[in-house]
Amino acid sequence: MSVDSLKPNRSRTRRGAVVKDVISRWTFMVPAIVLLVAVLAYPLLYTLQISFSDFDLATFAPSSWAGTGNYEDALGDENFLNSLVVTGIYLVLALPLQIVLGFGIAFLLNAEWRGRGVVRALFLIPMVVAPVVSGGIWKIMLDPLWGVITWFLGLFGVQPIDWFGDAGMAMISIVIIDTWRSVPFVVLIAAAAMLALPKDVFEAASVDGANWWQTLKSISLPMLAPIIAATFIVRWLGAVKMFDVVVATTNGGPGQATNVVNLYIYRQAFQLLEFSTSSAMAIIVLVITMVLTFVFLWGSKKLEDRL
Amino acid sequence: MTAVNPPVASHRRRSAKAHRTRVWSGVIVCILFLLPLVWMLLTSFKQQRDIFSSPPSFIFEPTIAQYVDVLTRGGFAGQMLNTVIVAVGASVLSLIAGAMAGYALSRLRIRGAGVIGALILASRGVPPIALAVPMFLVARSLGITDTHITLIIAYCSFIVPYVMWLMRGFFLALPKELEESAMLDGCSRMGAFFRIILPISLPGLLSTFIFSIILAWEELLFALVLTNRNATTFPVAIAGMAGDTENGANWGALAAAGMITVIPVVILALLVQKWLIRGLAEGATKG
Repeated sequence: MSVDSLKPNRSRTRRGAVVKDVISRWTFMVPAIVLLVAVLAYPLLYTLQISFSDFDLATFAPSSWAGTGNYEDALGDENFLNSLVVTGIYLVLALPLQIVLGFGIAFLLNAEWRGRGVVRALFLIPMVVAPVVSGGIWKIMLDPLWGVITWFLGLFGVQPIDWFGDAGMAMISIVIIDTWRSVPFVVLIAAAAMLALPKDVFEAASVDGANWWQTLKSISLPMLAPIIAATFIVRWLGAVKMFDVVVATTNGGPGQATNVVNLYIYRQAFQLLEFSTSSAMAIIVLVITMVLTFVFLWGSKKLEDRL
Repeated sequence: MTAVNPPVASHRRRSAKAHRTRVWSGVIVCILFLLPLVWMLLTSFKQQRDIFSSPPSFIFEPTIAQYVDVLTRGGFAGQMLNTVIVAVGASVLSLIAGAMAGYALSRLRIRGAGVIGALILASRGVPPIALAVPMFLVARSLGITDTHITLIIAYCSFIVPYVMWLMRGFFLALPKELEESAMLDGCSRMGAFFRIILPISLPGLLSTFIFSIILAWEELLFALVLTNRNATTFPVAIAGMAGDTENGANWGALAAAGMITVIPVVILALLVQKWLIRGLAEGATKG
């Protein structure tokens, strides 16, 4: 059929061929579109519908229109608002830490020597450990009685810390575990980006006698800004889904201290069977995530334009 | 690296020292990041009395009892098998759909490719919990909860967009003349894609496939919601084991189970490390 398009002198056949070609192009999209409509678009619309309906537990389907009642319930639920705050605290602690550590370590790893490839390959390993498994490992190591970290800190006279039992420490533990898993990801992206930087600029700076801090501030950071912003956005999109590590370690506790929003909504839906309210909560989280993602994208674009 | 004897002595010597500090700090940081896994490995070979010891035992008589236990008792072996089936199934399905769509996005100047690109990114901002309720309700009304195929299809929600984007990058790098000449020889576009483009994209396909497996491997939320016994994957089991463990209870089993889940993906990741890093960077910068 595409051979037809080689005969430009007959316009009608040509138009037919073009139509055919456009159709053949779109056929490539069909399987993905069908799948994504089934598992993304349709479920989202269904969630939206449930969020505006009463839910009938007898038929297990949304029944009558409930207006914005479910949203009022959600926003009036103190524990839900608390879970948003908890998630916010986790993100504010974890994201900057992971970005700074990641780019710092990437700088160390990019030092030229024979073992560089090996070290970088080893850094892949924590990244592919399932979040639940990393939760398990750290639970073993941080145990206040028999944990190896408790013992190690004890060597320096540090009293055993109740890592998962204390509200503040539990959040810090979650951040540590997530950082252990996520920093290698940032490191690998950052290391690749740094290697791509033009070397001559740094040589020129060094010839001009710029010190370490001046080089970082005036050359490295501005040149890396776009990739830092991009890495931040990817990490943000991952971190905002935080669920697994919490389930494997604190299960939201103590009290509500680490009850991140995904866990809270999960419980509302599948333990309390509050499908309408939980759907409204999910939509609220979706909107917040989308708005913030948009703001971050816009910000990174602005940043790029300015440099 | 050994220090060179430079003509301008003090300055160069200082920078050689800085270089050595940098190399060694890198190595030490890397070791620090691997220590938790080393500790899990050690714990998995310990007997209960070596686990309950203070100071912790570093030298002990190793036993494989925990591994035997984990694999023979309870449903862990079955859950591992389920995970393999679901991860491979979801990756194959996503790869077929995602590679075709990625090709369309890279090559065919479909109008609205930019919009589709933006939608792909937006899809990564959708919280899985917003999909879980309807998926559960639909699966329940169709009577297909707790089956592999349900989980496989559910996992496409986050794997397909990823594959589309990664494969688009691979296809963009291929010269257009390839399929154009095939199409001149009378091949249809579909034929050219399957006979010319796919075979030479094999490395890209393989690494994307492994990437998808790793994504599906660790998923917990959908597995919790959509399975309860027959199709349960290992993250559900391990979340339970880790949740139950307090002051050393179950550590050996938890560590052994953890090791069993880590080893396959580590091997896969190291096999395609070069591509994996590239894929990550690509996903970050252009996705």
